[in-house]
Amino acid sequence: MLMTSTTTTWNAWMPRVLSILRIVAALLFMAHGLQKFFGFPAPFPVPLTPLLDIQGVIETAGGAMLLVGLFTRPVAFILSGNMAVAYFMSHAPRSFFPVANGGDAAILYCFIFFFLIFAGGGSWSIDAARAKTA
Amino acid sequence: MGSLDATLEAWAPRVLSVLRIVAALLFLQSGLVKLFNFPVAPSFEMTPLYYAAGTIELIGSPLLLVGLFTRPVAFLLSGEMAFAYFKDHAPYSFYPFVNDGSLAILFCFVFFHLVFAGGGPWSIDRLWRKMD
Repeated sequence: MLMTSTTTTWNAWMPRVLSILRIVAALLFMAHGLQKFFGFPAPFPVPLTPLLDIQGVIETAGGAMLLVGLFTRPVAFILSGNMAVAYFMSHAPRSFFPVANGGDAAILYCFIFFFLIFAGGGSWSIDAARAKTA
Repeated sequence: MGSLDATLEAWAPRVLSVLRIVAALLFLQSGLVKLFNFPVAPSFEMTPLYYAAGTIELIGSPLLLVGLFTRPVAFLLSGEMAFAYFKDHAPYSFYPFVNDGSLAILFCFVFFHLVFAGGGPWSIDRLWRKMD
């Protein structure tokens, strides 16, 4: 495979950029949980049902763990499945097309987290720090 | 690294290709909405800038879908989303949750990652051009 020196440099940075992707996705995802329980950054529009309570815990705890990169693969597995369920429950019935049923973000979260199961948390994560000292 | 971790890592490049394909398909929709009103009309007023954005999306997404020129195309689309975020969302609130810019940010950083990781093995870049 032809690899230029530029490509090799970019490949060298990939584990860190992977961490950046993980952190950004985790922050955005966690905001949904914080909205449910803390009204931050905006209050939740309807009273919480038990289902939303559970969803909020998954979002807050899962997002926080993914943010610091702790147990990335199992957490990502849970969150990926969570988003798949959410998509088929809340978005798919409205339309076949994600852009029409508002499910773009759910799908993107689902597959970003799915990717994290396999790729791990990247170099900037608690997982990586623990692996080095192990 | 446990053997489960090792097995998962071995599949990571192919799942990278899956992520690239899914993101490209979703992004393709944005272009179709802007330029062809398919499957729905845009929810905003179309200006020349949005027509330009739609064109970039309609050209870049199929390239990303098949994994041709992945890194430069991903760089272009990542930049487009960053621009879109700061123009159309950031002025309304600091928080993406409030300014509805989460999707733009997600696309931006997925594409940004593709710049550094390449398109993965299931791509024209890898299969025909023998490069990543």
